[in-house]
Amino acid sequence: MTSQVLFQTIANAAAVSAMYAMIAVGLTLAFGVMQMANLAHGHFFMAGAYTVYALYALNRWPFWLAVSAAVGIGAVIGLAVERGIFRPLRGDVVAGFIATAGLMFVFEVFMGEVWGWGYMRPVTSPYMRAIKFMGASVSFQRVLVIPFAIACIGGLMIFMRYFRLGRALRAVAQDPEAASIQGININRMTALAMAIAGALAGIAGGLMSTIYAVTPALGGHIILPALIVVVVGGMGSVGGVTLASIILGFVNTFVTTLVDGVTALMVSVAVMALVLAIRPQGLMGHVVT
Amino acid sequence: MRKKGLRKRVVPIFLAAVLLISLPIVFGCSKKEAPAPEAVTAEPGAVSGLPAGLTLDEVVILSHLPDQQIGVEYPIGETIHLGFLCALSGPDAGWGLPGLCGNNIWIDAVNKTGGLLVGGKRYPLEIHPFDDEAIASKALQGARELVLEHDVKFISAIGGDAAKATAPFLTEHKVVYASLVPTDCDPNRPYVVAGGDITPQCNMFNALIAKMVLPSEEEMGRKLTYALTTQDCIMSRQVGAWEIGAAKAMGFKIVYEEFFGVETTDFAPIITAVMASKPDVISLCEAWPEYQTMMWEQLYLQGYKGVVVQNYADWETNLTKIPAEYAAAQFGIDSFPLMDDPWWGETSWQKSFTNVWNARYGPGASEDVKRRMTGIDWDHVIWLIPWCIGAQVAGKDTPGEWPSNDAVLAALRGLPSFPTVLGPGHMSGKEMFGIDNMIEEPVPMCMFDLGATDKRIVAHLNFEPWYENIKGIVIKEVEERGQMYYQR
Repeated sequence: MTSQVLFQTIANAAAVSAMYAMIAVGLTLAFGVMQMANLAHGHFFMAGAYTVYALYALNRWPFWLAVSAAVGIGAVIGLAVERGIFRPLRGDVVAGFIATAGLMFVFEVFMGEVWGWGYMRPVTSPYMRAIKFMGASVSFQRVLVIPFAIACIGGLMIFMRYFRLGRALRAVAQDPEAASIQGININRMTALAMAIAGALAGIAGGLMSTIYAVTPALGGHIILPALIVVVVGGMGSVGGVTLASIILGFVNTFVTTLVDGVTALMVSVAVMALVLAIRPQGLMGHVVT
Repeated sequence: MRKKGLRKRVVPIFLAAVLLISLPIVFGCSKKEAPAPEAVTAEPGAVSGLPAGLTLDEVVILSHLPDQQIGVEYPIGETIHLGFLCALSGPDAGWGLPGLCGNNIWIDAVNKTGGLLVGGKRYPLEIHPFDDEAIASKALQGARELVLEHDVKFISAIGGDAAKATAPFLTEHKVVYASLVPTDCDPNRPYVVAGGDITPQCNMFNALIAKMVLPSEEEMGRKLTYALTTQDCIMSRQVGAWEIGAAKAMGFKIVYEEFFGVETTDFAPIITAVMASKPDVISLCEAWPEYQTMMWEQLYLQGYKGVVVQNYADWETNLTKIPAEYAAAQFGIDSFPLMDDPWWGETSWQKSFTNVWNARYGPGASEDVKRRMTGIDWDHVIWLIPWCIGAQVAGKDTPGEWPSNDAVLAALRGLPSFPTVLGPGHMSGKEMFGIDNMIEEPVPMCMFDLGATDKRIVAHLNFEPWYENIKGIVIKEVEERGQMYYQR
């Protein structure tokens, strides 16, 4: 591997890590608070991507305004799903799992029927250029995801640590019953968690609509790596998800470059199996007693 | 209290804003169904002139039929059902969905004359689409539905994994399966026909055209290098083997030959790996339209300079990701010409096809598909037309009856030449694929043209004499990859 290829691969890996982190952080937050996996999280991402397609690519809205709208739509979808699915099924992990699996199909069919099943919906990047350094060349749109990922994850960590509502979210994640006795409204907290998760998926989908192929199947493609990242990082751990995104982003990119994409996916799953064997709770997850 | 009042005002405003934003998303697209074919009642033998609604362009399109006798009335036979078993969604949809437009154009033109004239009867045609999403199991499910529920006699398809999955069932029911790629042809699959879209011949010619636009080995002071990457599927493995064989025969050194998983969503590392091999030519081979667009984007962003070839390029989508100047600088070589390419001439079958397409599917038309005509719009009807020709020829021996598919294929093989969308063709393929189920016709090669901001034909090549000179090298490479029909 020449130095140019090495730097190019590192740059690719850094961008992919940021993309993984942005997608997975909302998923892990929702899981942490509700103790239920939202399999439709990738479809929240897809809704964000379609929003930017509809507003920016079709209706010529400014790109950042369209991304802002995607954040709002993601949050509203998150709230609706919390109210319609997670709240009535609270405590029943299997029912929640099945319900969100069903929701995936509902989203997919809805988007397919509205926007058509045929072609990808191309979203032209407002920044159709590359940033070059040390022989590497990465699209500006991908580089842009890195500061956004840092801002979203950093902002979420600050919110969870220093804000009253954030601390209440952590309390619910740690022990919902004790949090309830302390006067924390569990319904409000789960709604808040899902709204934040939806908003994060919306911003990720909006930002990355120019990178991925926007199709009704997009959510299904996104959820698999996001779940691997969450499992490796530790369910409910924002820090763990960040670490896992970096590890898996680099492993996946380097193996794809050096060997091929199929092997890369196998290695990613092997990393997940290894982590689960050594630390079943994930890299930074807590053991549930 | 004030807080509650504020919330009462803010919440409806917020919900109204969300609704406003959602409206263009929900109502941004509408679907229109294609009109159902109408059966014409007729007095046998009467001459009624040009049937109502039939345009002159449609008459030109129907001129490929040897015995349609437009305007002469014949008894109406039962409806002949056809299947369209392709990816209508997903990353392969670009090779399926547009083909339905071409088939509809043909079927509607035939039906306006009362139906396909076979053995003294006019048989109306009706097509039944099924979305197989390029998944083999779904293709088999679709084949069963099309045959058992609709009794289809002919299926337009993309092929590859789907061809393999459906072949035993369709062979049992003697249904013709028209794949896009002759590599699907096999002596054990007597009803799989292909070659209408000149794959893998055009992939093999890609190496020739690339060699022509590159400086010579003497000028470069080294061997010219060739890299190939595409998704891992049966079609790519087979077509890739033929293309690599041709590239070697053209003197290229193969520096990269890898297949990526069909679930790939990030093409940056794949393009980094290809570029690391420093190729003069990068072939995207059979990369599905959606993948190809993202691969072109990465080639542009990572600064590849060289020749890029592929089986089929959809420039309308690609140009949403890369500047036209970049596509032109890398030559953007492919096949699958556009029917509105000026190369065909103002008075041609292709021009008439374009006129009918524009009138029906173009901007502002009744079934506006909100895209330009692509090289796939004709890519499925290219086999449907010869099948209709074969039925007419075979029908002469079975008056009053629809001929069997064995008779239709035998009739086609018996014709020294018949018209196709791309020029005169004949049945061939025994040497390459073990059975004469492939149409051999002129191969149009295209390059991206900056002035037209689309592809334009640069050569119309005759495959057989060229292949005759290189087949020794090519077949050796195909055999090494285990892709000859007798190795599968």
